[in-house]
Amino acid sequence: MKMTATASRPSTATGSATSAAGSAHGKASAIAQAPSFKQRWRGAGNLLPALLFLGLFFLAPLIGLLLRGVLEPTPGFGNYEQLFANSAYARVLLNTFSVAGLVTIFSLLLGFPLAWAITLVPRGWGRWILNIVLLSMWTSLLARTYSWLVLLQASGVINKTLMALGIIDQPLEMVHNLTGVVIGMSYIMIPFIVLPLQATMQAIDPMILQAGSICGASPWTNFFRVFLPLCRPGLASGGLMVFVMSLGYYVTPALLGGAQNMMLPEFIIQQVQSFLNWSLASAGAALLIAITLVLFYFYLKLQPESPVGASNAR
Amino acid sequence: MVLNKRATAVLLAGLLSVTSQALLAAESVNFVSWGGSTQDAQKQAWADPFSKASGITVVQDGPTDYGKLKAMVESGNVQWDVVDVEADFALRAAAEGLLEPLDFKVIQRDKIDPRFVSDHGVGSFFFSFVLGYNEGKLGAGKPQDWSALFDTKTYPGKRALYKWPSPGVLELALLADGVPADKLYPLDLDRAFKKLDTIKKDIVWWGGGAQSQQLLASGEASMGQFWNGRIHALQEDGAPVGVSWKQNLVMADILVIPKGSKNKDAAMKFLANASSAKGQADFSNLTAYAPVNVDSVQRLDSVLAPNLPTAYAKDQITLDFAYWAKNGPAIATRWNEWLVK
Repeated sequence: MKMTATASRPSTATGSATSAAGSAHGKASAIAQAPSFKQRWRGAGNLLPALLFLGLFFLAPLIGLLLRGVLEPTPGFGNYEQLFANSAYARVLLNTFSVAGLVTIFSLLLGFPLAWAITLVPRGWGRWILNIVLLSMWTSLLARTYSWLVLLQASGVINKTLMALGIIDQPLEMVHNLTGVVIGMSYIMIPFIVLPLQATMQAIDPMILQAGSICGASPWTNFFRVFLPLCRPGLASGGLMVFVMSLGYYVTPALLGGAQNMMLPEFIIQQVQSFLNWSLASAGAALLIAITLVLFYFYLKLQPESPVGASNAR
Repeated sequence: MVLNKRATAVLLAGLLSVTSQALLAAESVNFVSWGGSTQDAQKQAWADPFSKASGITVVQDGPTDYGKLKAMVESGNVQWDVVDVEADFALRAAAEGLLEPLDFKVIQRDKIDPRFVSDHGVGSFFFSFVLGYNEGKLGAGKPQDWSALFDTKTYPGKRALYKWPSPGVLELALLADGVPADKLYPLDLDRAFKKLDTIKKDIVWWGGGAQSQQLLASGEASMGQFWNGRIHALQEDGAPVGVSWKQNLVMADILVIPKGSKNKDAAMKFLANASSAKGQADFSNLTAYAPVNVDSVQRLDSVLAPNLPTAYAKDQITLDFAYWAKNGPAIATRWNEWLVK
């Protein structure tokens, strides 16, 4: 850690200087013609410290881990065979995806109006709401998950209130099942939708919407044909982030879910910690990584401007 | 001149602290357990008196993590000297070569209940899975044995069971289905899962002690399988919780020394102290878990003693750790299949 930091310092300084010059130069030439390969990669030296850091502390251990999956206990694809031959693991995979999908949908549905509200209310208020969102993110995950348990369980606040009001006779089962996991995780994921989405919305020029209504668009048309498409980069990057994070989530499903809703991370932890079967765990982890990469590929294909590109454009 | 003096003083102090640290490091043991009230009691009953008597510092660390233990032994950089692990894991880890053999010239093997000692581990404490129930939720009828868990008509409500594929749940299902205690092993998995199928939708799983207490005390679960010490703690707090010791299932924690431990000799001394009659009795009096040393029983607190597994030896069934050490991973595969089905 320390080593890379000192090593990287001189190269960052020189790198940023060249890139500043490079971008000014590049802009000028881009007007005339498409930038050549050399110009495009100018400033790539800036990447070096980050690449070195990631390579040393992320990629190398990751490769080591993945190798275990094919080398142990005997070289070959035995672990993967075991993983795919067993219907239970297919079920675990399906659970993982349905939970991640549901969480993404719910947090988008809840996060969108919230982000919009933050953009629309007077500036000081918006900042307050945003701070509350951030504050919830900084509170201990475990504490927040346990709070949901207190709210949702059979003898919890929500069930007691509903029963006292005479709305239900039997407590609703909202925890130790899929419902509990989706509620708890959607809540945790909302900030990850709100932050990119709010940034995107903030950047939309209100004049565009005005122009839309001047041209005769009804509020609905204006929303669906003008506003929503403009929000798409924020929605897509937020949604993808939430989906990928949900695939690898452990604490909340373990506490709020039932054992029958086992997700892939819990399976991996079980293999690593209880059974020391690291090769099978590694196969599971590789599967999770592969799926994430495939999703990311499709996302880049479907999304004309990548999230990175979109934020650059602003 | 003044500055110079000060600098020398600082240097000297620094040097002193370095050397004294080096001395301390030679005489210290890293003790790893599961945290919470159990580890507090282990510190109070074993570590503190041991340090006072021997001058060996005991550094508390945790929580126990089998993955970490394996990684340390494999990488040759072993930071842990004494680790509190579950009984079946102790045997499996020994078979995988992850543990140091114990020195029974230092540790008194003949005083330890033979169920809880092996070449590579000596008992930390033992406990029982007991049938606990919330009296407020069940009314007049008191459940007697594990078969009550499967009788949802007489005893409505959710059942709290231990979540991990480890000794306990399958055995209690087989006992409830009428398998005699001496015919439990090898486990008839088909029969056990079939029995569990009848209450599958009524089960809430708990993964840790605090969670199990919360489930039972709040009435979220009306009954279930619990660690006896946790039930005792609830009763002490005045929660309306009852317990049946019939068919109580004995499980144990074992103290082990990871292979390549840097303070092996000090660790052996620590184990000798922890498994001594006094160390075991002191720990039991703090936690309501049972001592593995046969001489500890007469040292137990007379008020507490009726709440310990040692008082219910007649109704006791000891889980077969060796069977689980060997078949655990295969059972886990079946277990996961059944769970997500």
